[in-house]
Amino acid sequence: MSSFPPQVLVLWACSALAQLIVVILLFSKGSFRKLPFFTVYVALNLCQAVFLVIVYSICGTSSETTKSLAWYSECVTLVAQALATTEILRLALRPYQGIWGLAWRALTCTSAFVVLMVALTTRGDWVTAKWFELNRGYHLTFAAAVIACLLLIRYYSIQVPAAYKMILGGFCLYSCTEILINTVLQSLLKKAFYDYQPIWQSSTMLSFIVVLFVWVAALWKPLPVDARQATPPSDSIYQRLSPEINERLRELNEKLLRLWKMEARPQ
Amino acid sequence: MNFALLVLFLFGILLLLVLVAVLRDTPKLRRPNADLGYAEDLDRRHVNFFPQVKQALAAEDFTFLASRGSRALAQVAGKERRKIALAYLACLRSDFLKLWRLARVIASMSPQVGVAQELERLQLGLAFSWRYEVIRIKFIFGFAPLPELGSLSEVVSRLSIRLETAMKELGERAALTAKLASSLNGRGLDTP
Repeated sequence: MSSFPPQVLVLWACSALAQLIVVILLFSKGSFRKLPFFTVYVALNLCQAVFLVIVYSICGTSSETTKSLAWYSECVTLVAQALATTEILRLALRPYQGIWGLAWRALTCTSAFVVLMVALTTRGDWVTAKWFELNRGYHLTFAAAVIACLLLIRYYSIQVPAAYKMILGGFCLYSCTEILINTVLQSLLKKAFYDYQPIWQSSTMLSFIVVLFVWVAALWKPLPVDARQATPPSDSIYQRLSPEINERLRELNEKLLRLWKMEARPQ
Repeated sequence: MNFALLVLFLFGILLLLVLVAVLRDTPKLRRPNADLGYAEDLDRRHVNFFPQVKQALAAEDFTFLASRGSRALAQVAGKERRKIALAYLACLRSDFLKLWRLARVIASMSPQVGVAQELERLQLGLAFSWRYEVIRIKFIFGFAPLPELGSLSEVVSRLSIRLETAMKELGERAALTAKLASSLNGRGLDTP
C-alpha cells in the first residue's frame, strides 16, 4: 500500500467516502428498494476497495497475483454495472412496452457492432495487454449501448425522471472517460505504461469520484413515484385521439392525393 | 498514435458529445404530453394551399404579366411569389414534423413497435428533409420546381396513410381490450 503515491491514496479514500455516502443515501431515502441492482453495484465497489486493500497488503502492489485478482474483482463490478443500468432502463421504459422491446434490440445490435469494432481494432496485440483491452472494449460497448437507448428515449420524447437520467449519464460519463484515458495513455506511454501507472490510477479514480458526486445529487431526494402511475392510461388517450386524428388524416390524405393526381396529369 | 487508437479516441469523443446532447433537456420534453398538442394543431394545415401556390408559380402567369405589363413587373411578381412559395414550403415542413412527432407518440404508446415500420418512418423523414432542402435551394436560386413540390406533398401523404393504419390498429386493440375487460367483469358478476 505504501508504494502508492500519496495523491492516489487520497483519491482512493475520497472515492470510498463518496461511495459510502451513496450507499447511505440509497438506504436512508429508501431508494434501495427501487434500485436493488444499483445498490448492489455501489456496495460491490466498496467491497472491492476493501478487498484490494487486503490483497495489496498481503501480495504487494506489483505482483502478477495482485494484478489478476484486481482485474477479476473489476469483472464482478462491471457485470453489476451492466445489471444496474439495465434495471434503470427497465424502470424508465416499463410503461412503454413497445419501446422497451425496441430498446432491447437496439442494445443487442449496438453491442454486437461495437464488440466487432473492438475486436477489429485490437486484433494482433491484445494478448500483451489483455485486461486493459478488455476493460476498454467493455466500456466502449457499454457506453454505445446506453447512449443508443438514451437516443431512443429522446427520439420518442419519453419522460425519464431526472434522477434516472443522472445515474445513466454518470455510468456513461465514466465509461467514456475510461475509453479516452485508456486510449490516450496507451498511445502516449506505450511500453512505459507501468512506470506511469499512478497517472492512470489517479485519472480513472478522479472521473469515478465526479460520477459519484453526480449520483449523490441524483439520490439526494427520494426517487419519483413509479412511472406507471404517473403516465396516463394509454387506452383513454387512444380513444380520445383516435377518431379525431383519423378524421383529420383522412381529410389531409384525400386532399394530397387529389393534388398529386392533378400534378401528375400531363399539361 | 496508430490508426486503431485514433479511431477509438475519436469514437470516445463522439460518444461523450452525443451523451451531452442526449442529456440536454429541451422545452418540449419538459412539457407533459407536449406531442399530443400537435393533434389539436392539425387543423391549421398548410398543405391545403398547394393549388394556390401552384397557380402563383405557373409560367403562364408570368408570360401574361410580361406581355401585358412589363418584364420588370413580372420579375418583381416572381420574386414576391417565390417568397410566398418558400413560406409555404416551411409550413409544409412544419405539417410534416407535426405528423411525424404524432406518429412517434403513437408508437411510444403502442405495446408493440415494429422495427421495420420505425425504420421506414425514419427513411421517410430523411427523404422529406433531403427533398425539402433541394427544393428550398432551387427556390432561393430562382427556379420553380413544381414536380418536386408535388413529390414532397406525397411524402406527407404517405406518412398520413401510415398513421391512419397505425391509429386504426391501436383503436381496434383498445376496443378489444375494453371488450375483454367488460366480458371478464360480466363473468365476475355472474359468479355467485
